[in-house]
Amino acid sequence: MNTLSDRISGLFFMVMGLAMYFWINPNYIETVEGGNLSPNTLPNIISIILAIAGAFVAIKPTTHRLRNPVLMAKTGLYVALLTAGIWAMSWVGFEFVAPVLALAIMWLIGERRPLWLGLGVVAMPALIWFLVTQLLGRALP
Amino acid sequence: MVDFSTILAGFGDAFSLFNLAFVLFGVILGQFVGAVPGIGPIMAMAIAIPFTFGLDPLPAIAFLVGVNKGGLVGGAVPAVLMNTPGTPDAAATAMDGYPLAKQGKPLKATKMALFSSVTGDTFSDIVLITVSAPLAILALKMGPIEVAALMIFAFSILAGLIGNSIAKGVISAAFGLLAASIGQDPENFTPRLIFGYWDLFDGLALPSVAIGMLAISEILHRLSEAHGNMRPAIVAKDTGNPDDRRVTWAEYWSCRYTMLRGASIGTVLGALPGIGSTAAAFMSYAMTKAGSKDPKSFGKGNIQGIAASESANSAVVGANLIPLLTLGIPGSVGAALIISAFMIHGMQPGPLLFENQGRLVYGLFGAMIMANFVNLWVGQLGLRLWVRVVSAPESIIFSSALLLCFVGVSMATSGLFGVAIMLIFAVIGYLMASFGYSLVIFIIAFFLGPRFEKSIAQSLALTNGDLTQVLKSPVALALLVLSVVSVVWFLRKNTEGEDE
Repeated sequence: MNTLSDRISGLFFMVMGLAMYFWINPNYIETVEGGNLSPNTLPNIISIILAIAGAFVAIKPTTHRLRNPVLMAKTGLYVALLTAGIWAMSWVGFEFVAPVLALAIMWLIGERRPLWLGLGVVAMPALIWFLVTQLLGRALP
Repeated sequence: MVDFSTILAGFGDAFSLFNLAFVLFGVILGQFVGAVPGIGPIMAMAIAIPFTFGLDPLPAIAFLVGVNKGGLVGGAVPAVLMNTPGTPDAAATAMDGYPLAKQGKPLKATKMALFSSVTGDTFSDIVLITVSAPLAILALKMGPIEVAALMIFAFSILAGLIGNSIAKGVISAAFGLLAASIGQDPENFTPRLIFGYWDLFDGLALPSVAIGMLAISEILHRLSEAHGNMRPAIVAKDTGNPDDRRVTWAEYWSCRYTMLRGASIGTVLGALPGIGSTAAAFMSYAMTKAGSKDPKSFGKGNIQGIAASESANSAVVGANLIPLLTLGIPGSVGAALIISAFMIHGMQPGPLLFENQGRLVYGLFGAMIMANFVNLWVGQLGLRLWVRVVSAPESIIFSSALLLCFVGVSMATSGLFGVAIMLIFAVIGYLMASFGYSLVIFIIAFFLGPRFEKSIAQSLALTNGDLTQVLKSPVALALLVLSVVSVVWFLRKNTEGEDE
């Protein structure tokens, strides 16, 4: 059972290497005539290495234990939140999104104390704003 | 040859309270900014240069040197305390620094980083002051063939970081190289694997990839483990043993060969343009681990690991100035910023610099020595402050760290596209770590990849595709033999480690 994670990841890299070599590299690398090192030489070599090493991991797996799937799913929730945060920043800017994002993250972790919530949601974004826009004279995202 | 009175006058100029104040301000700024993931000393220097316009050359350059040196110490702080390196070259420090901090010894870990950083930095400064000219001439003789051989040697060092599965180590390295090949082809300048996103034409930005994989992926892991019981990000246990909060002389002295090796690696790599402190830190770490009688203790809080990494990455800073001052060639982005500051202040780096402006150059050397002592002093105070900061609940530490990474990477990559790339690589890093693939090997391969491909392309152009020309270069040949020997040696060490 412990070998399952290596078999899955090994197969993934094998398929990825093959897909890169047969489909992605030929379609997404512009080749040119002449020159000493073609643009696709290195990516092709790497793709072959990935496929061979991936097959090797799948065939001879180690007993690496995968992280708890529940924790991995929870991580997915945080990734979704951060993705939404980046998307929102592109529309309304860091100043408005940062407090909401900080609140959401702190709330999800389980923080309920008003003082720490206040520090994380108000003080920290304000400090970053002051540091970046006022002290460093740069624009926030 | 510069006469002795010029040297004395230069040092006399540097050692003034006025210059000390600028060095102090630079070091404080560098340490603070270096500790913010994504911003780092390079950006701090870029921002600080315009503020030096109104200053005389010496205090201006002393200030920038302070920022650069302080930034390297600052970069180690979040790496050790939160496993989120402030700068990519501090990633190797996190490998042993963070486990030691988790054992309840954050001050010991950060102090070891500080002491070894200052030791490595001072070593390279001494080399710079005494033998910079011959070293620069040696560095200039390294053509593309020799640089390509050096890159192959750097890759061979990766074998020292491979754990219990060679195939997984190879996959990490290949995946890193694949990520590095995104963007324009170094020889023909055609787009490669950009999938229509022209923002990728210049390649994936190192801050996005390194901070995403090393810092954000770790924060995501820690966030997923939080269960509503608000713990401090780091617990500084009071065991009653004062040695847990400091580095004893015996511990420091036991790392003397490690630091000497790290500083030597950093100095040699720093003297060669374009290789950088990240490669030096990992090479030193891998060599120390492979040469240790107890390699299994590495990655579990061994102070030798911290000493190896920090002495090497800090030694690069002083050595970067060797080709800069003697030949006018900047060895890194930091050195390129310093060269621009030199030129703004009327200095023309190159072979005639020592003849024409010897007093100013030795003033710079004096400021560098001063900056090392100030770094040590400010670091001792600053580290206590940082340890207190990360003793706050992890809810505020992680939410703040995420926001700082967003802002830092956005500034480093000029926009939210870099932040999106950072998040993608955070997910990739999280999955790779979950499935037991080395993030460190990925990052080194990613960093070395473009330099390797470029040097290969240049070598092929130079030799008209005739690789037998390599045999005519004794330096390249020696490096290739050394590469084979080191791969065999590292892999044998790994196998022995597994058997024990």
